[in-house]
Amino acid sequence: MPTPDQAPAQARVDQAIDWLVRLRFGSPGPDAQAQFQRWLSLHPHNGLAWQRVSNLGDELAGLPKDLSRRTLQGSERQGISRRDQLKLGALLVVGSGLGWMAREPLGLPELLADSATATGERRQLQGSDGSRIQLNTASAIDLRFTAGQRRLALLRGEVSLDSNPADKRPFFINTRVATLRTLDGQLLVRQSDHDLLVAVRRGEATVMTGATPVRVHSGETLRVQANGGHQAITPPSDPWGWTEGVLSVRQMPLADFVAELNRYRPGLLRCAPAVANLKVSGTYQLADTNQILQLLARSLPVRIDYHTRYWVNIDAA
Amino acid sequence: MATMQLPDTLKPTEVALLYQSHHAWLRGWLRSRVGCSEHAADLAQDTFVRLLRARQTSPLKEPRAYLSSIARGLMIDQFRRRALERAYQDSLAHLPETDIPSEEHRLVILDSLERLDRALHQLKPRARQAFLHAQLDGLSIIQISLLLGVSKATVERDLAKALKTCYRLRYADA
Repeated sequence: MPTPDQAPAQARVDQAIDWLVRLRFGSPGPDAQAQFQRWLSLHPHNGLAWQRVSNLGDELAGLPKDLSRRTLQGSERQGISRRDQLKLGALLVVGSGLGWMAREPLGLPELLADSATATGERRQLQGSDGSRIQLNTASAIDLRFTAGQRRLALLRGEVSLDSNPADKRPFFINTRVATLRTLDGQLLVRQSDHDLLVAVRRGEATVMTGATPVRVHSGETLRVQANGGHQAITPPSDPWGWTEGVLSVRQMPLADFVAELNRYRPGLLRCAPAVANLKVSGTYQLADTNQILQLLARSLPVRIDYHTRYWVNIDAA
Repeated sequence: MATMQLPDTLKPTEVALLYQSHHAWLRGWLRSRVGCSEHAADLAQDTFVRLLRARQTSPLKEPRAYLSSIARGLMIDQFRRRALERAYQDSLAHLPETDIPSEEHRLVILDSLERLDRALHQLKPRARQAFLHAQLDGLSIIQISLLLGVSKATVERDLAKALKTCYRLRYADA
């Protein structure tokens, strides 16, 4: 018999964890229980591993959901991801640039906080060059200014830049699929898993992707695909809306609207195929996504089903 | 279980030597960053404790670079922990009176959340999201796979990975 202080071998722990995943989060078939019992009886240490793993599972399942989510998200807002922290750590050592952050006496917490936003959050920053930078929901950036250039790396999400015309250093924006360069301009860059959107409101930007650089002028929007292909587009919603805290759309299919709204809302927001093509028009305040859902239910023949706070379905009324 | 001598750490005499040569420098380095000399002294102490346990056998080529990288990690851990504690207090303040857990339970929850937070930061973003959806949103594997646009098997792997990280943090010191 194993004694309680004997640690089960990692392989058995791994198996126990696979069982926990299947039994608690999956949809175990009728045979699953019998198979699980068989596994348990294979070796006394399997039981021990299961005891530890299921205790851990109970501990996690017993956490108050709302309190935990708020806390983890709150700390996320104050901190940033470890990878970013390590990078920032490196920047701290170099100690160059980052003037707007260095103004803070302690530096680090503010510095960590200002480069990332949580879902539903937006934030405004001022660069040491006088540029105005805004981060949209669930976004993260690194900033690096040197004597010869200004550089912003968009790690995830969406950012708007209003550069200070008095500063003559070129401004580069690095993204996964392309690098942008501007001398002066007001631009918006949005990075998703499969493409990149670049909108210019003032000045112009050069998008470097593939062999030939592409110029984007004031009033234009360019879509760049992951493979480097690109085309000018007319965006289905006002790309600048979020900088004013609104989502402004005209005749947008509900499915697209819901996908857009979901960027600002933690959890799952889905719409049934039956209502996917209903058209949505209007200007909505992003500060309260629940209210937007209520407005939808009033203006369209749909009903909103709240399965949990973080899982909402939109279906035909 | 008997304590094992870990074969792959620096010898205590080497650490003592490093301490003599670099401790004062490290304290100064930390003081200029955290702005408080007591706090800097604590962190310098923790740095050498960490060094004793570090998996490193050969003599350090650039001891100051190595020490400062450990110290930087500690500073960041501490900021994370403080950020989490602050967020926890804020979140408690949002709860209705009747939902506030007892003092003891509050500490137990904070302890679990700290471990969870540390585990989450060791995961890739997708695994992290999957795990939060499963644990805190009550979503099933199928729902998560729809939400994240990946296969069920991928979600299962992500969840298992997250639980393994939690397990390591929960039982590593036991």
